[in-house]
Amino acid sequence: MSENKVIVANKGMVRADFNFWVGRYMDKFYDNFEKKKVVGNKCQKCGDVFVPPRKICGKCNVVIPLEENWVDLPDTGILKNYTITPYRVNDRSSRKAKPQIIGMVQIDGSNTAIVYRLLNIKQEEVKTGMKVKIEWSEKPKGDPSDIKGFVKV
Amino acid sequence: MEKVGIVGYYQVQLQSEANYGRYEMIFEAVRGALDKGGIKKKEITTVISSTNDYYDGRTISNAFTVEVGGGYLADESKVEMDGAHAVLYGLMRILSGNHKLAVIWGGSMASCFPYHSARLFETDPTWERPSALVNDITAAGFQMRAYMEKYGVSSEDIAKVAVNNRKNAAKNPLSLKEAQYPNLTTKEVLESDNYADPVTELMVSPLCDGVAALILAPEKQALKITDKPVWITGVGYNQDAYYLGDRDLSTSKSMEMAGKVAFKAAGINNPKDEIDVAELFEMYAHEELIFSEALGLTKKGQGANLNYEINGDLPINPSGGALGGNAPCATGLIRIIEAVKQLRGEANGYQVKDAKKAIASGQIGMCAQNNIIYVLEGEN
Amino acid sequence: MGRQVAIASAGFSEHASKRSDVSMPELVSEAILDCLKNVPSVGIEDIDAFVNGNMPAFEGSNIPELWMTDWMGARNKPLMRVTTGGTTGGSVAISGYYNVTAGIPGVDTVLAVAFEQQSIGTTSVGLASVAYGEISVLNSIGIPYEELTRLLSGGAAIGVASYQAANYMRRSKITEEDLARVVVQNRHNAAKTWWTHLKMPDLTIEQVLDTPYISYPLRYGMVCPASDGACAMLFTTEEKAKDMCDIPVYVNGVASVSHETAVLGYNGSGAGQLDPSEQLGAMKSAELAFNQSGISFPRKEIDYAEVYAPFPNQELMWVERLGLFEENTASSMYESGVTALNGELPVNCSGGVNSTNAIGASAMERPAEAALQIMGKASNQVPKTVHTALGHGWGGVINLITMMVMSDEPARKFK
Repeated sequence: MSENKVIVANKGMVRADFNFWVGRYMDKFYDNFEKKKVVGNKCQKCGDVFVPPRKICGKCNVVIPLEENWVDLPDTGILKNYTITPYRVNDRSSRKAKPQIIGMVQIDGSNTAIVYRLLNIKQEEVKTGMKVKIEWSEKPKGDPSDIKGFVKV
Repeated sequence: MEKVGIVGYYQVQLQSEANYGRYEMIFEAVRGALDKGGIKKKEITTVISSTNDYYDGRTISNAFTVEVGGGYLADESKVEMDGAHAVLYGLMRILSGNHKLAVIWGGSMASCFPYHSARLFETDPTWERPSALVNDITAAGFQMRAYMEKYGVSSEDIAKVAVNNRKNAAKNPLSLKEAQYPNLTTKEVLESDNYADPVTELMVSPLCDGVAALILAPEKQALKITDKPVWITGVGYNQDAYYLGDRDLSTSKSMEMAGKVAFKAAGINNPKDEIDVAELFEMYAHEELIFSEALGLTKKGQGANLNYEINGDLPINPSGGALGGNAPCATGLIRIIEAVKQLRGEANGYQVKDAKKAIASGQIGMCAQNNIIYVLEGEN
Repeated sequence: MGRQVAIASAGFSEHASKRSDVSMPELVSEAILDCLKNVPSVGIEDIDAFVNGNMPAFEGSNIPELWMTDWMGARNKPLMRVTTGGTTGGSVAISGYYNVTAGIPGVDTVLAVAFEQQSIGTTSVGLASVAYGEISVLNSIGIPYEELTRLLSGGAAIGVASYQAANYMRRSKITEEDLARVVVQNRHNAAKTWWTHLKMPDLTIEQVLDTPYISYPLRYGMVCPASDGACAMLFTTEEKAKDMCDIPVYVNGVASVSHETAVLGYNGSGAGQLDPSEQLGAMKSAELAFNQSGISFPRKEIDYAEVYAPFPNQELMWVERLGLFEENTASSMYESGVTALNGELPVNCSGGVNSTNAIGASAMERPAEAALQIMGKASNQVPKTVHTALGHGWGGVINLITMMVMSDEPARKFK
């Protein structure tokens, strides 16, 4: 077989749109995002608080009723883990750009972690265990991008 | 568990851009495995494949592969996980008594699709996916940092794994050429480009094109087909929680639990002493250490102190592992094949002496969310 | 070698064209909770292993069983994913059977779940993508996409299905009225089954025939809907099933024999089989499954059948191919009421795929409903006692098939 010969080349685009239903638990969560508030829900058995809220507690295998056990949570949290990467990935390709710091933050009072960028901070200043705070976007729309990222407290 | 034997295998040459189509590659692998076992197509009663619709860029990725995979008018099905999981389903089909010969194949062509984008489709579309900040690249960074900070392991120790595996790959002719580094140093690994701090590019398994196949048969048939069957004496598989924040990334609970089940079935009480060689699917260098600890080959945090070199106490990935080439959906299957080669004395150039018992693992998901591990024994 | 497997329960979620009130994991959780509701002695913690499947093109999610781990109750449990396109549900059910019969240590009770939330994506794009690779090969040798649609290989399911329908009509000499009759029977049945999508208790043959053609001979009124829904089945050993439910349903025969892809062939190379209504794969699957179950005369020994027919011509074709009726007689069986609820061999009393089609789930809903009929717990329960039933599925490029034969007696009693 020859090394560099292109035998068949075909270029075309097929458009496939997807619109995901978030379910009623996440619906309530995003409604609160519009008010710049974080809410979670609590497992009635083990007491774990989930951000974002969930219908089922994975440890206890119980259903957390929709109307119960909602917990208001603060904007602050602890940085549990972080990484710094130049890669940007989207649903078509990945490319390299300026490195960004991405952190895993446990909101105070919750038992899980959410992943967002760390803003206005130098690489050398980042340490796991440090206190961070949400920076909300100016006009929240009720979707994950309402949290722009976390800043050092 | 009754003994099921691996009686044939074949792995195509891993290439970063293979100059042939998926059908030819699948045919080469399955035909090669049949020929190795001296088996005819008409003797196949069941075929299990492992492909992924998003990696193949088509839905029902097995629909058109029926003919080339040996599945024409055979009882055929597909697992959408690692090739190692397809072996599990084939194993179940043999143990059922319904089938006397199972062909397993799996693989994909990483050169034909944007891998990280396809991995992105695994993430929670209602929460994580819009920002794309949780992806397989950042997951690697989180996992390595969690491991290093929990146990005080240095990047240098992790780089040593990359050095060892890529050196081993240089002795394995079927591994990816671009992954073969016979004279790599830890300094070079640490100074390679940042991937997702603290992971560097040379610590990451390189993607490539590849397909592999193997053949399973029950004990009675296996002994007739070949004089060197390799027995599957134990298998365990387990799936962790999904969200990275729900897991302790410094260890692998799923690998630990899977290992316990597999070792118990195989009657292994002390894996460190009883296992002669391990082929573990390590997506990144640090995962190899995490897995060896989770499997009890060494204490937690002590993975770096294990002598895992090819002439060491417990050689890990003498073939180079995934760091020697990662063809999505084939890599776990290739680990099993490499373990089989060791037990049959057919690992020319990188043979571990007197290998009698081996373990081989496969994985899927971010930070190895679902792990599967096999205990394999050679026929004496 | 293998252990006898029994089905202890089956459950469903509500099916609708848009389940906008739930996310994918919540939809799956609904079916699992319904399945376990019927077996009060079994909790999710008693499940040893899981099998999950759907057709991932429709939701834009790759290997979503990873995401829905907690919602299934599968955290740190063994889990396997099986996907084979339209036959996914059947393949997942068959995999559930193999999980239990294999006797791998620690795996006795297995929950198999299949689902689809088609409203998330675009059904036609999802279906067509099975052949993009092959279509593009034909494009590059000069055949434009529109021509391919005329060659009936584009448009995926409808395209190939109407080609298959035309072939079947030629062989069997059925009329469009026969097709409409099958649709009416299915939709009436669906109206009496709680979880279905198109409940149409007053549908008439004239109403079906009064809709425009999509592709001859299939009219809009004859075609299945696109649904959101999930289905779950509980497989376990014979001993454990006896403690879980009154009438365990023994899985005695399974098969999923594949044939070469119809019409297109791989790499657009064409197919050897000229008549896609021939279905050698289905005939061989039926033969294997019946042999395993000790069935020699399916026409007499099968009491109930659920066959996978999104299009009515397929229902007529399958009942013949699977050995239930003589060739070219199916239409008269429908006309004379043999396949009706109180007939000798009722077919698709759940309304079949023609009334509800959540693609990933529908091939599991067939054995699930058949099992419930044996248990006496089906929503639209047939009046006669059902001892032996079959659930069937098809998919792929009409080359993939699944078959499951079940009975209230274990296979060894028939051998």
